[in-house]
Amino acid sequence: MKTVKEILRDNDPLRREPLPDDRERERIRRTAVEAASRATTVRTAYARAPLAALAAVVLIVVGILAVGARTGPRGSARVYAAVRFEVRLAEDRAAAGLREARVSGDRVVYLHEEIVVTNADIERSAVAQGSSPSRFSVGVRFNAAGAEKMRQATANHVGRPIAILIDGEVVAAPVLRSAISDSALISGDFSQAEADRIVNGIGVRER
Amino acid sequence: MAAVLPVAMPSDPGARLSALFDAHHERLYRLARRLAPRADEALDLVQETFLKAARSPGAVPAGATNEEAWLVRVLINIRRDQWRKTIVRKRHDREVGHSSGVDDSQEAALIARATVWRALDILKPRRRAALVMYELEGLPIPAIASLLGISAVTVRWHLSMGRRDLARVLKGQVGETNENR
Repeated sequence: MKTVKEILRDNDPLRREPLPDDRERERIRRTAVEAASRATTVRTAYARAPLAALAAVVLIVVGILAVGARTGPRGSARVYAAVRFEVRLAEDRAAAGLREARVSGDRVVYLHEEIVVTNADIERSAVAQGSSPSRFSVGVRFNAAGAEKMRQATANHVGRPIAILIDGEVVAAPVLRSAISDSALISGDFSQAEADRIVNGIGVRER
Repeated sequence: MAAVLPVAMPSDPGARLSALFDAHHERLYRLARRLAPRADEALDLVQETFLKAARSPGAVPAGATNEEAWLVRVLINIRRDQWRKTIVRKRHDREVGHSSGVDDSQEAALIARATVWRALDILKPRRRAALVMYELEGLPIPAIASLLGISAVTVRWHLSMGRRDLARVLKGQVGETNENR
């Protein structure tokens, strides 16, 4: 009589077989990586049709505004960012020139006055799966100027907090483990609706 | 609203997939090989899992632990689909009586002589994965629950039912079961 553990162990194929060789491993990696690249290309192609439609709508709106500006009362049409995104350096201890901000629960950080990057420094953003099926994260990729600002600001700030603000509220203030440059992931506790709102809003810039 | 960390996020989907592959392919293969009857089927399982990640990059959560859990669940789901098809095919073959060409008594004799490996094939993939993770990989129940996305109670239930099913098929071969850690 054997235990289940002994039966499984005695009949474990990995005890007798080698792991896949380099050739097999590379074949699978290449297949998957090529599929990832193809998927991106297809998505980009599909994205062109809505963009064309959007461009047409924008032209029509601009045309209407132009006519309105000539005929209607004077005024300005401004489009505001739906979501204001900021990254600021922060500290754990109060000091002159720092502003207190609550993160979550009882945690407090002290924000530097200077804003490192804003919406204008983001090239794209995306919703990513979070820590559970119903929670989501937000990934942002900075443009060249934003990446350079992040690199310069965070290079000498490792081991201290950095604050991510959405609409003026600190949603994350993790301690930097290494310098950040071209991208960041705000992982955590967003609902799907919150994550969508942030991602959709980040892409809209104030004009 | 809690959030955790900004991290470097590979901007190129191919680069991220490549990093995912490097970090998890061996762990996935080990699990796949213990779920699939043959090595080539285990390789196919691993490939299908990474193809799923390639087609839905936004669905793969961030962080090594979350990535691993996502990939493990996808792999088990793919294996479950294969397993279901196999079960249906075997049932059909038995009904039309053309695969083994044996009658019920011969079939019973075959089952009685079946290897442990074939006995394991009766277990649903998720249950089998729980047994493999617990008995062969030595993972504690909370870790298995986290990987499979189910509660610790459900893991215990799968372990208990898995042992019972194995003991039923391998009559006279299975002794006392281990206590769950």
